[in-house]
Amino acid sequence: MTEWWADVVAKFVAAFITKDRWRLYLNGLGLTMEIAFFAGIIGIILGIIIALCRLSRSRNGGKTFLSVIAGIYIDVIRGTPSVLQLLIMWFIIMKNTTNSVLVASLAFGINSGAYVAEIFRAGILAVDPGQTEAGRSVGLSKSQTMLYIVLPQAIKNALPPICNEFITLIKETAIVGYVGLSDLTRVANQITSRTYEAFMPLIGAAVIYFVVIKILTMLLGILERRLRKSDNR
Amino acid sequence: MITVKDLKKNFEDTEVLKGISYEVGKGEKIVVVGPSGSGKSTFLRCLTLLEMPTSGKIFLEDQEITDPKTDINKIRQQMGMVFQHFNLFNNLTIMDNITLAPVKLGLMKKEEAKENALQLLNRVNLPEKADSYPAQLSGGQKQRIAIVRSLAMNPKVMLFDEPTSALDPEMVGEVLAVMKELAESGMTMIVVTHEMAFAKEVANKVLFVDQGIIMEENTPEEFFDHPKSPRLQDFLSRVL
Ligand SMILES: Nc1ncnc2c1ncn2[C@@H]1O[C@H](COP(=O)(O)OP(=O)(O)O)[C@@H](O)[C@H]1O
Ligand SMILES: [Mg+2]
Repeated sequence: MTEWWADVVAKFVAAFITKDRWRLYLNGLGLTMEIAFFAGIIGIILGIIIALCRLSRSRNGGKTFLSVIAGIYIDVIRGTPSVLQLLIMWFIIMKNTTNSVLVASLAFGINSGAYVAEIFRAGILAVDPGQTEAGRSVGLSKSQTMLYIVLPQAIKNALPPICNEFITLIKETAIVGYVGLSDLTRVANQITSRTYEAFMPLIGAAVIYFVVIKILTMLLGILERRLRKSDNR
Repeated sequence: MITVKDLKKNFEDTEVLKGISYEVGKGEKIVVVGPSGSGKSTFLRCLTLLEMPTSGKIFLEDQEITDPKTDINKIRQQMGMVFQHFNLFNNLTIMDNITLAPVKLGLMKKEEAKENALQLLNRVNLPEKADSYPAQLSGGQKQRIAIVRSLAMNPKVMLFDEPTSALDPEMVGEVLAVMKELAESGMTMIVVTHEMAFAKEVANKVLFVDQGIIMEENTPEEFFDHPKSPRLQDFLSRVL
């Protein structure tokens, strides 16, 4: 029993304490969060723009050129693996860029933008058409009505699923090891190959992801309750 | 004030308005009645191009609304529209509901618009609701605010599409009272409603819209006491 315990302790020490290895996990987590953060921002901005393009209609009610383009973008992004999108960004589109964090943030941001666009589109469509009619009836233009009346309500509708998308994004970034970035997942993997022991580093990394995501999910729950309350104000 | 010439509207294959011509004079109160599905809402919505007419012409004074070169946003500023379901802006306070359009369209300074809004809120006895949100109001209160929101634009004409149909019975009176007061103030009004007492009291003319045409048009006295067409007689016998 004591022998078994001593072995566990030794493995733990090798995985986390020796050579201050815990710092590597921390740095890895930092990189993971950094990429997720920038990708999230790019995704939200891109998502709103793409959603508005997707919903744009010409005078006679037909789809606009922009709407078709936005549709293709959403289709292509959702129809291909994100690892491939990352590799294409790294090895083809931005092969002359050395800033790999930038490349990864862009790749994930562009990927996330497609999903965020669909969330926003649903959020906009969920706003009662009567709101738009009332806005147009007092003489506001299409874009003024969108900006002052529909979008604020759509964003409120979309906020919880958007946060959810961001939480998903944190996990999705675990593939950046493919382009040589030492995020949390890759760090755990590297330590495994150094200590010849997989359990502690991999489970450790899993626990860190889990805790971060659990905390964010709980915060999201609080946000959702707040929003629901403000519906009845 | 408003001239409608041979207005037709199709939805896909169904012809909903089959040629409506009518002229509304300044200060007139026109009440439109008719069975459900006869095209009353479509008629009102065509007047501000919320629905695009299939053919025909509509004029507000000497401006042709149906002319593609006309700036419809400018026209709509002069025509208030009150909906069955109020359609207050849910994300804005009552004050902002009223001042949004005048301020954003550059007609008034923010302060001026607020002052004007407070006066209008007093007119409908709801000054204490300025900072509330629509969800905190009763149906009757919402509809009075919706009327005020339109009035804040100083429109030349007000259109009402069944403004009391979505209300609990005890709230119908407070909205009709505001409309009567508005009528007395000289506003030009076109009102689609099932409130026949309101029609008798306020209307200069009552129109019976049925099967996409104006089937009968008369003063309220003649309209209700001596209906000519059998369909109107039948309609009145069911609603009165
Ligand atoms: N957007 C639309 N698309 C297709 N049909 C419509 C649309 N709006 C109204 N209609 C049809 O037009 C007819 C008249 O509708 P409406 O003007 O709302 O009647 P009313 O207001 O007199 O009850 C109805 O048969 C309705 O189903
Ligand atoms: Mg109707």
